[in-house]
Amino acid sequence: MRTLQQISIIFIFVLLLAALPATIVVKPVLGDGGPDSSISMGLEWHPEIVISLAGEFINTISSGSLGTYSAGAQVRNIEDDIADNFFTSMKIMVVGVNVALVISLFFGIFVSRFRPTKVFNSFMNALAAVPDFILIIVSMILAVNFYQATGVRIISLRPDAGAMNIWFPMILVGLAPTLYMFKLISVKYYQTSGEDFIRTAVAKGMKLNYINFQHVFKNVEPFIVAELTKIISIAIGNLFIIEYLLNVSGITKFIFQSSTSGAAAYSFQPVAIGLLAMLAISFTVYLSVRLLLYLFKWGFIHE
Amino acid sequence: MNRLLRVNYQLYAGIFFVTVLLFLTLFGPILAPHTLTEALETKYTNGTIISPPLDPYTSKEWPLGTDKWGYDLLSMVLHGIRYTVFIAVAVTVIKMLFGTIAGLYIGTWKKTPGWMVAFENAWSYVPLFLILYFLLIPIPFNSQIDPVFLVFYFIIIASIISIPSIISSVRQKSAEFYKSVYVEAARALGARRSRIVWGHIFPQMKESLLVMFILEIVYVIAIMGQLALMNIFVGGTFVTYDPLMYFSKTKELAGLVGQARGNIYGSHFILLVPLAALLITTASFSLLANGLKNRFQSNYQRSPWIKTGIEPRLMPKRKSYSSTKKWWKLTPPQFAFLALILLFISAGTYVYATKDSDIGVRNGSQAAYNLSLEMNKDGEFSTEAEINVKNQSGEKWDELVFYFIPNSFTEGHPFKNVKGFSAVDIRTVKIDGEQTEFSLAEDTLKIALDSPMKNREKRTVTVSYEFTVPEEGVRFSTVRGNYYLAQWYPMLATYQNRAWNKEDYSDGLETFHTGFSDFNVEYSIPSGYSFVSTADKDGKLEGKSGKVEMEYVRDFFIAVVKDMDIYETESQGVNIRLFTRNNHDKDPEKALQLAKKALGFYQDNIGKYPHKQLDIMFDKGQFMEYPGIVTINPYIEDDKFYEISIVHEIAHQYFYGVVSNDPYNEAWLDEGFTEFATNMYFYLAEKQPLALAQRISENRMKSIEEKGLGRQHSNLPLHENKHSGYIYGQPALKLTEMVKKNSYQRENEFDIVVMEYLSDYYHQFRYKEVNTEEFLKFTMNYFKVPRGSFTDWLQTEE
Repeated sequence: MRTLQQISIIFIFVLLLAALPATIVVKPVLGDGGPDSSISMGLEWHPEIVISLAGEFINTISSGSLGTYSAGAQVRNIEDDIADNFFTSMKIMVVGVNVALVISLFFGIFVSRFRPTKVFNSFMNALAAVPDFILIIVSMILAVNFYQATGVRIISLRPDAGAMNIWFPMILVGLAPTLYMFKLISVKYYQTSGEDFIRTAVAKGMKLNYINFQHVFKNVEPFIVAELTKIISIAIGNLFIIEYLLNVSGITKFIFQSSTSGAAAYSFQPVAIGLLAMLAISFTVYLSVRLLLYLFKWGFIHE
Repeated sequence: MNRLLRVNYQLYAGIFFVTVLLFLTLFGPILAPHTLTEALETKYTNGTIISPPLDPYTSKEWPLGTDKWGYDLLSMVLHGIRYTVFIAVAVTVIKMLFGTIAGLYIGTWKKTPGWMVAFENAWSYVPLFLILYFLLIPIPFNSQIDPVFLVFYFIIIASIISIPSIISSVRQKSAEFYKSVYVEAARALGARRSRIVWGHIFPQMKESLLVMFILEIVYVIAIMGQLALMNIFVGGTFVTYDPLMYFSKTKELAGLVGQARGNIYGSHFILLVPLAALLITTASFSLLANGLKNRFQSNYQRSPWIKTGIEPRLMPKRKSYSSTKKWWKLTPPQFAFLALILLFISAGTYVYATKDSDIGVRNGSQAAYNLSLEMNKDGEFSTEAEINVKNQSGEKWDELVFYFIPNSFTEGHPFKNVKGFSAVDIRTVKIDGEQTEFSLAEDTLKIALDSPMKNREKRTVTVSYEFTVPEEGVRFSTVRGNYYLAQWYPMLATYQNRAWNKEDYSDGLETFHTGFSDFNVEYSIPSGYSFVSTADKDGKLEGKSGKVEMEYVRDFFIAVVKDMDIYETESQGVNIRLFTRNNHDKDPEKALQLAKKALGFYQDNIGKYPHKQLDIMFDKGQFMEYPGIVTINPYIEDDKFYEISIVHEIAHQYFYGVVSNDPYNEAWLDEGFTEFATNMYFYLAEKQPLALAQRISENRMKSIEEKGLGRQHSNLPLHENKHSGYIYGQPALKLTEMVKKNSYQRENEFDIVVMEYLSDYYHQFRYKEVNTEEFLKFTMNYFKVPRGSFTDWLQTEE
């Protein structure tokens, strides 16, 4: 019941978000009317537009179609084209976030005590202080430089470059969640290791690895689950930028194609569909991470 | 453990860098070497072509290089940084303030409403930058909305949409503290909600809130960066369609990164410079936040029982309540912090105080004059001039060079305009009280120094001399018993470009160039004479002796006259006096009214008149300007020229008296500008048609044409100049033409722009020396015109 409420709220929320640009209207504000008075521009907000847009949206959906979008001068059906974009983005997201989880768990808890990992840890901490988008730009510059220096191509900016087009975005999408989770996990690990039950375990002569698996991980996991929505939201935010910068034909392309600057060019239908698809992707990623955690527990941790 | 490892470097580095950042926020634009509209021009020097985009570290003038259009990257960053920091801090303050208060109270509710939790969760799903993106795309590119409005629009919406996440995290912590035993105890004792919140919960949270505050600043910057990558710049986007390019209107750092995004494939540095600036900005705040976090953690953290990879290095800092510490016993970090604050204040003061010092041409010599003048009944003057000379050239001087113009007119002089001749006798020259050798040739007085004069050194030169004034001379002249003393004392030459800038006297235009100096003049004159001078307060006209002073003027002119009528009026607090005899056909009242109107026009449209009094001397001789006093010849036939000259000499009070220039090498800067301002007076104040108002300039050019002199640049030294029209008329006409053509750049019509330009030029170079290069820099920037548009009348290459 709770989940249902949650999902419906998010659903409405996304629709509102998609309708938002249509409600803001830029209008010229006239001066005192004299011949010399300059024309300035102001913003007006018309929330009532939302209702008509929502009605239209529901009508289109209930007629069994996802509606249309315009690519250049062409008007195309959304359902014909969306599948490819959807699965591209989903692949990037699922792989990115799950890899991020594995890396941060591995380095954050299980091997974090070894000396070589410490160097890696401090490197990660330094990176975590840098805003994600800077990391993305810098990695792109490095990739371009790498190509210029060696001739080996690691990125492609063509939308039809196949695998080349997908693995670099995967790494970039995984970057920010890795840093975020790594920081979270190492802080929680440190806090947990000060607890009394750890002392008891140590006193009983248990091995460190055993303590890490059976005691620490189990106590850190709830925090990961609690922050999972935030982590996915970070990944999605970066997905927008990465697909835009690297010219990946993912789901965000749908959204950007239909929302260029100025309210006149804005079309609600594809944006709403795109955002809902985005939501579906988030949900899939969420499930996949929970599944991964479940499998991990099932395999390594015995109650 | 090594004590050096225990220092919280992150905290100290963070504090230092954030301070630097705040400094740049306040003073960035002042420190910027170039303006935002000043572009590097393609140059060909020593066999290499310098052209944009210029790589970093290749030119001193453009330290971090330029973008493809030649705009200075460093200047853009320095201008933009204040927007970035201001916006980020403003957003954070608003959202933290509301979010914290709401979160603290909601945390003390018995139960958080389900809808609220659901809303928070839903909100945390959607990336905030996406919400902002949807709120900002309705604003069209190139919209006419004021950037300031858009900045505030961004601040408001960015704050509002991020408040829920702040409330959420504060609420959770607050609820946790609310459950603790001491809160329960307080409640049992009857504490109300507000007391519990502010007295028990908030103190527990204030440290983590501080860390959160700083981290949120970084977060806001990151959001602005994400938006900028989508070509949405805070403060508005300016877009060109052919080629398709986006520009940030505010030059805010994230916007700079966004607009340089296209350089990812090519000139990396154009992107890397703003990116690095942004990275440093965010890294500074992150360091500070981390440093604070480390300190708080070391205070409260329990030590782990197993090896974790994170080892606590920092020693906890405990508050010691019992010991009373003396406030002056500072610990090293406190001392360093105090030093940092002092450094901030002093550097800020220095930067602010010297912000105009790089405007204009520098003069390495400075002088202050104490002159005493005694005149006997036969018109013989004996003078003692005490001149305090200061070397501020940064170099050593072996000699001092003065103009001593009275010596040019001694018997047998070659100047046809000077009817009589003068007698000059220098009795002694002393330096710091010691008599010394000197050489006097024509108007050059050179004093060799026994010991070289170092930079910043001061010496006092005393010259005692006697002189008489030539009959009907030029400027330095006696006419029917009246004495006009111009350049009558040894005037220290300017020291520029590592040499004394002293040219020989010649007939015609001014050949002497002096800096701004203070004057104290003591005089005694025979009875029946009146003393009228540059000074603001001349003393009683019938007084036989007196003392006058004037500060910061380029010259000190004295008229010793008798039997003159005085007419007086006033314009906006400036006293105008006109001295005349009544043996000419001009109406002094009308002249006075014209002077008043002209001065009033310039006061209204250019700026404040620099002195308190304007004297106008009517007598036979030249039409000449001196600080605070002008001479007009009412005995000429040409009424039109006479009228124009009155206005002209008054305009000179601005463009000669206050805006200085080298009259020998670049006479056009005062004469051309003055004629331009004069023409504009007749055009705008007298409502003459432009062609009529500029007739005098047109006539000069016509005369050049009739003589078949061809073309010549206006900014040539006097000995190369073929006709005064190139100095007076040509600049006046060309300036009008240029303003007319480019007034659209200032988004106004010619009539308004032209006076705004003169006023801005005047205020930019007030009490500075201007040369052609400085004029070009200012004007090119003002009207966004290229250097090439001046080449037909100015020598634009150095």
